Amino acid sequence: MTGSTGTPPLPLDHVLRSLRERFADAAIEAEPGRRREQRVAVPAARLSEVAGAVRGWGGSLITAFALDEREPHGHFRLRYLFSMAQEDAVLTLESAIHAGDPHFPSVTPEVPAAHWLEREIQDMMGLLATGHPDPRPLVAHDGWPRGCHPLRRDFVPPGDMAWPPRFAFTPVEGEGVFEIPVGPIHAGIIEPGHFRFASVGESVLKLDVRLGWKYRGLETLARGKRIAPALEIAERACGLCAFSHALAFSGAVEEAAGVLAPPRARALRSLAGELERIYNHCGDLAGILLDVAYAVGAAEGQRLKEVAQQACDALFGHRFLRGLCVPGGVTRDLDDARQRWLRALLARLRVDVEELVRAATANDAVMDRLAGAGTLGPEPARDLGVVGPAARACGIGHDVRRAHPYAFYPDLDFQVPVRSAGDVSARFSVKADEIQESINIIDQTLLRLPGGPLLTERVVPPAGRSGLGLVESPRGLLSHWIRAGEDGTIDEWRMRSASHANWPAVAIAVLDNIVPDFPLINKSFNLCYACVDR
Amino acid sequence: MWEILLHSLRKGVVTAKPAAPLPHDLAPAPRDSAGPIELLGEALRSEIHRLFGRSMKLRHVDCGSCNGCESELQALLNPFYDLQRFGLDFVASPRHADALIVTGPPALHLEEALRLTDEATPRPRLVIAVGDCACSGGFCAGSFATRLGVHEVVPVDVRIPGCPPRPEEITRGLLKALRK
Ligand code: SF4
Repeated sequence: MTGSTGTPPLPLDHVLRSLRERFADAAIEAEPGRRREQRVAVPAARLSEVAGAVRGWGGSLITAFALDEREPHGHFRLRYLFSMAQEDAVLTLESAIHAGDPHFPSVTPEVPAAHWLEREIQDMMGLLATGHPDPRPLVAHDGWPRGCHPLRRDFVPPGDMAWPPRFAFTPVEGEGVFEIPVGPIHAGIIEPGHFRFASVGESVLKLDVRLGWKYRGLETLARGKRIAPALEIAERACGLCAFSHALAFSGAVEEAAGVLAPPRARALRSLAGELERIYNHCGDLAGILLDVAYAVGAAEGQRLKEVAQQACDALFGHRFLRGLCVPGGVTRDLDDARQRWLRALLARLRVDVEELVRAATANDAVMDRLAGAGTLGPEPARDLGVVGPAARACGIGHDVRRAHPYAFYPDLDFQVPVRSAGDVSARFSVKADEIQESINIIDQTLLRLPGGPLLTERVVPPAGRSGLGLVESPRGLLSHWIRAGEDGTIDEWRMRSASHANWPAVAIAVLDNIVPDFPLINKSFNLCYACVDR
Repeated sequence: MWEILLHSLRKGVVTAKPAAPLPHDLAPAPRDSAGPIELLGEALRSEIHRLFGRSMKLRHVDCGSCNGCESELQALLNPFYDLQRFGLDFVASPRHADALIVTGPPALHLEEALRLTDEATPRPRLVIAVGDCACSGGFCAGSFATRLGVHEVVPVDVRIPGCPPRPEEITRGLLKALRK
């Protein structure tokens, strides 16, 4: 793992100059991109070296994916997108991989955040990441027929559709080592995933997380669909972050089409995004308290989540805000009376959250469980590219609303709460503080709500144009990338959610904790499975 | 402790009162109403008494949902709906269940898990599909990695459509399941 992590990001021009100087022999071509995007073509053999350098200069990996361009170019194309946070820039490293030899040198040893992404590229595109430290399949369960790579353009679904799940696990051996398999079906109303603990006594020695159970083939399904049905898919990739997904997808389509949503729509997008954060975080506080058997607090947290969701329903017609955000704007307005009502409701919610947090943190039995459990240090968090509240709980203050401002955030004045302990208690506090900050943001938005229309004219991106939408979802950085096809269709769509970035960190955070604390630690991250499996 | 008691007294009962009521002069955003939770719940209680004596236990199986349906199932247990007071609860093992609640299209990866869970549930049992995905594949229809509804894997007794169905709608659907 490279150690150069704490350096502040350098301005993009400087990075480009350094790239050319340092890799003069590597035929690096920088192509000016739109607005804030810079594309750099790198020969595949040098990819990992260059990626390591970009990371050292302060780039953090947003996502990586492969495109099938065998027709007509005869190669696959790999893309690694880095956020250069200091100046709202995205640096994309691109490499062509010859169709006849579908290998590429893995970037993971240099940029560990690419770990799961490259495993997924292997499954979805059939390219092989040589030198990857753990090249097992990620989404593809071992029963998949050979040559089944759903994101290839010539993919034909296999005739034999029964895929009994069989996995290879890394065995852990030694005296007194036990293996505890858990899942995929869990004892509660929870999503499916398989966890395999290796433990000595009560302590966790290793945790192997196998997801992919909910794989619905969404990126393949969306191919060739018109924008409206594709949006419906994007918005259903995840239930609890539905609005963030709709927003990131709309952002990507708008960028490809070269349009901006009108000011009032942008403001309402920020407002709805914060409502989504509020109900998610209230639910998370409840979940953490439930897992330490603090029933009063859990019930209150669930009640607050319900209050926020009923408000979403009353104002926008959906408890998960589906159907509100579309490319070009939003579909519903808030009149003055409803704005006043929302402000009064949030003022009460603010006090209730304060009381809940005060009661919980004053309770020694609760704090005894939260403090010191599931500690994630800043170093592994940076290496793994952890995002969102989980990163901010271990001192990494990255927030997309700051780094790549969208919607109404450039006009707003807000704090990004950060803690340093990296344990369950820090994640609890960050989320509690973020609820208060979200209420601030909504108050400010309502005070400055611009007038005007809610939607721009038809948004139709020209064929071949691509766009990237970045959003700070309740769980952190969410990216949607699209390339437009003919007649207002979506030709390619790639999505990466915050949970995808954070899952590997859960496996690190539980190490040396006792097995019975796993549910609590897991809940404090509260990652989603659906948007990871897709 | 005293603080909690005082707090509860001040807050009063929240169950079944609208958690976020709009004032009367503001119409809520259009939606169809399933009826007040209290009435649905009481009807549910008497059906449960008739059929099971005391209580009905549900086992949830997620077969590839987006997590939206899960969130609404969890909401059934929050202090606002609190369905447990009508004799209904979710259990950890299919062995204890009277009914399976299934969400998701199902995803092919979870077919075997669903089948095994169903086999582990004592007969007679009800299978209730919750959400558009579980009812018919929903927006996933056409994907090579999912089915067109739970009934393609295990027999379904009742469907509760919606994306996701609101907690009231799920309650009404459960009532329908018991009256069948
Ligand atoms: S029916 Fe809707 S809410 Fe339920 S799992 Fe399917 S997409 Fe999600």
